[in-house]
Amino acid sequence: MKKLASTIVAAGLIASSVAADSAITAVKVNADLDRVNYKSAVWKDAKFSTVTLYPQTTIEFNDKKANALNTANKAVKAKIAAVYNDSRIAFLIGWSDETKNVTTGTKTDEYADGFAVQFASNSTNPKELPYIGMGSDGRPVVIHLQKEAIGVFEPNGNGDVSHQINPNQTDLFGEDLKNFNKKVKRLASTDYERSFVSEGFRSMTEIKDASNKSYSRIGYASGGWSGTVSRPLKDEYVNLNAASIPVAFAVWDGEKMGRNGLKNLTAWTAVKLEGKKGGDALVTALHGKVAGDAAKGKEAAMMNGCTGCHQMEATDAANLMGPSLTNIGGYSTVDYLRESLVNPSAVVVPGYNRNAHSNYAWYNIENGKRVSTMPDHSWMEKADLDNIVAYLKTLKAEVK
Amino acid sequence: MSKRQLAMVMDLNKCIGCQTCTVACKTQWTNRNGREYMYWNNVETYPGTGYPKNWMELGGGFDAAGDLQPGIIPNLEADYGVPWDYNYDALQGGASFEPNVEPTWGPNWDEDEGAGVFPQDNYFFYLPRICNHCTNPGCLSACPRDAIFKREQDGVVLVDLDRCQGYRYCIAGCPYKKIYFNPKISKSEKCILCFPRIEQGLPPACAQQCVGRIRFVGFLDDTEGQVHKLVNKYKVALGLRSDYGTQPNVYYVPPTESPAKFDADGKIIEGSTRLPIEELEKLFGPEVHQAIKTLKAEMKKRKETGESELMDILIAYQHSDMFRLDNNYYQQVAKDNGHKALAPVDNRYIAGKFTKNSHEMNFFHGGDFKAGGHH
Repeated sequence: MKKLASTIVAAGLIASSVAADSAITAVKVNADLDRVNYKSAVWKDAKFSTVTLYPQTTIEFNDKKANALNTANKAVKAKIAAVYNDSRIAFLIGWSDETKNVTTGTKTDEYADGFAVQFASNSTNPKELPYIGMGSDGRPVVIHLQKEAIGVFEPNGNGDVSHQINPNQTDLFGEDLKNFNKKVKRLASTDYERSFVSEGFRSMTEIKDASNKSYSRIGYASGGWSGTVSRPLKDEYVNLNAASIPVAFAVWDGEKMGRNGLKNLTAWTAVKLEGKKGGDALVTALHGKVAGDAAKGKEAAMMNGCTGCHQMEATDAANLMGPSLTNIGGYSTVDYLRESLVNPSAVVVPGYNRNAHSNYAWYNIENGKRVSTMPDHSWMEKADLDNIVAYLKTLKAEVK
Repeated sequence: MSKRQLAMVMDLNKCIGCQTCTVACKTQWTNRNGREYMYWNNVETYPGTGYPKNWMELGGGFDAAGDLQPGIIPNLEADYGVPWDYNYDALQGGASFEPNVEPTWGPNWDEDEGAGVFPQDNYFFYLPRICNHCTNPGCLSACPRDAIFKREQDGVVLVDLDRCQGYRYCIAGCPYKKIYFNPKISKSEKCILCFPRIEQGLPPACAQQCVGRIRFVGFLDDTEGQVHKLVNKYKVALGLRSDYGTQPNVYYVPPTESPAKFDADGKIIEGSTRLPIEELEKLFGPEVHQAIKTLKAEMKKRKETGESELMDILIAYQHSDMFRLDNNYYQQVAKDNGHKALAPVDNRYIAGKFTKNSHEMNFFHGGDFKAGGHH
C-alpha cells in the first residue's frame, strides 16, 4: 500500500502547464469513508487534479529567522483527489517535500510539516465567499488541520491531574516509578489533528466540544507527504451537500519554520460532486476567464496610488499601511478582488494586532464592526476595475 | 490597557542571589509537564549572559515609532540549556551518581562571575526577573490568534491555552524572553503572577518566599500602598529596559551601594564606585540618576534625623504592608462578572460565538465548572 502513496506523490510532482487550476471532481463511491486514510483502496477510483499553492505574504510575522528563510518562496503544486458517499466527503492531498519535519515534543524551535483543508459555511453566492485567510466577519469557515507530532499532550492532561506531577515528587520508586512514567507516556497523542471555526484568522477557535466528526491522517514516503481528511457532508458548521463547493488547501514546511501564516495556500477551488446537477456558477466564478487587460490595469493601479499603502510586486518595498498584495493573484478570486475595490469594508483582513503597528490602522471600529481605511473605488469605470483585477491576478510567485 | 494594574517592586540593593524565589516558582509551577527548562522567575548575575543567553539581543519589543520589532526564538540546547536530573533511583543498586543529560548550560551557569578585574574593579549585582506583565505587551501584540490577554481587573497577562496554537511569535515579540514554548503541549506558557494565590489575597510565591524581603506587591493606583509610593511618589523604582516600549510593570530599586575600586597597589581609590552608572542607565533609563540621588538623600536624612518614610518602606518591616492585595476585591470582580473566581478565561471568545455547544473545561481536578462555549 505504501506504493500507492508514493505514486500519488510522484503524480503530484508533474508540473502543470495550465495557467490556472481547474475544478476538482469528487467521485461518488459506495465505500465507507469514516476511517479513510491515504492508503485506502478508495483512492484508486478517484480522479486526481493539480492545484497551485502560493506563499502567504499578506502580512509578515515577527520571527526574524523564519522571515529570512521565507523571503523568496515559490508556489508549489499539490495533487488532490476527492470522493464522497451519501454521508461523507473525503479529500486526499499529496505534495512533495524534501525534508520530513515532525515535532518531537522536546525542542523549542522545531515545526512540523502539515496541511489544512478549508470549507466555507455559506457558498450560495459565489461572488461573496469568505476571505481566503480563514474567513471573515459574518462569513465563517471550517478548517481541518493535520500535522505529524511524536507525542503531544493536552495542557490539562484530559483532566488527569494525578499524572501531571514531577515523577521525582511522587513517593514511587523502582517498578512503580517505571509504571508511572509509562502511564504518563500513554496520555500523549501522536495525532495532531485539529478542527477550527473561524471568521478571520484572529478569531480562529478550535472545536473542542465533540461536535466535530472529521477524521484525518498524514504520512511521509518517497520525498512527499500524503494526507487525507474525511468529514460529514453536512454538520452544524457547513453543508457540503451541493453540486459544487468551494474548498481551499494549505501546506506547511516545517524546515522553513512554517506555521500559521507561514504557509502556501490555494485560492478557493471548486469541487464538483459528480452526479449532482448544477453548480456551474461557482465553477465559472472560481475558474472562469479573467476579463480585462493586466498591462492597462497596472497603469491604473499606479495612477490610483495603490502602492501608497500596498506592496504590490515582490520587488516593491514592504508597506505596513495595508495587506501586501505580492501573491494576491495566487490565492484570491476575481470576485474577491473586485469586491475589495468597490466595497473595501465587505471583507476586512484582521491584519496585525492593533498595538503591533499602532500608526498603521488598516481599519477603524465603528459600532463594533471593522471599517476599512481603504477608500471605496466604486466610482471607477467598469473597464478600469476589470483591468486592475486582471493586473492583481498576475501578482503571484512563480511555481517551484 | 487594563482598569487596574498589579505591580511588583524589587529592591536590588537587598537581593543576595539565593535563588529562593526561583525555587519557590519552580516547585509551584515549572518542575513538570514540559516546563522543566522554564524559569518564570530567575535570578541572573549582571553583567552576565542572562537567561536565556543574551536575551537583550534577541529582539522583540517596540521601536520609538511604536512598531513591534522582529525577534528570535531561543533554542533549548544552546540558549536555555537542557535541564538534567540525577539517577537517584539507581543509587540503591550501587550505581555511581550521574546526570541523565550532559550539563552544558543552565539558567545561572555564569552566576557571580560579573565583570572587571579582581581585585581592582570587579563587580556584579543580582537581577531577579519575572514576566513584567507589561501595559503594552510585546507577546500579546505578536499573537495572530488573540490567545494572549491582559486581565481587566489587575493587568495580569495570561495565555489562553485553548486558543494558543504554539506559533511562538509571542516569544519573538517579548523583549524579555519571559514567555516560553512548552514543547510537550505545543503551547506557550509564562509567569501568571501566581493569580490563583493573588485572588486569595496571597502574594506570588516568589515574593512570599524572598528571604531578603526585596519584593513589594500591590496595585499601582493604591496610593496608600508601598508599591505606589516607591514607583510614583518617590520615583525610586524603575522599569527594566523601558526603552523596549512595552511599559513593564515590574519595577526595580537600582543598586546604589558598591565598594570603592582598588588601584594597582591595592589601595582604595577614594570616592570611586565599582558599579558603572552607564550600565545602570542602560537597564533603567536616564531616570536612574534621580532615583539614586533620592535614595542617597533619604539614606542620609534617615541617618541624621532618624526619619525617612522611603527608608522605612525599603527596610520592609511587615509583609502585611509589603503585600497589599485586597482579597475581597477579586471576590467582587468575580461576582460582578458572573464568573467563578480562578477562571482563567479570555472573555472575548466566551459563550458560543464561534462554536455551537459549550463544553466542560477540565482545568481542575474533576472539571467542576463550565466555561461557556468559546471553544
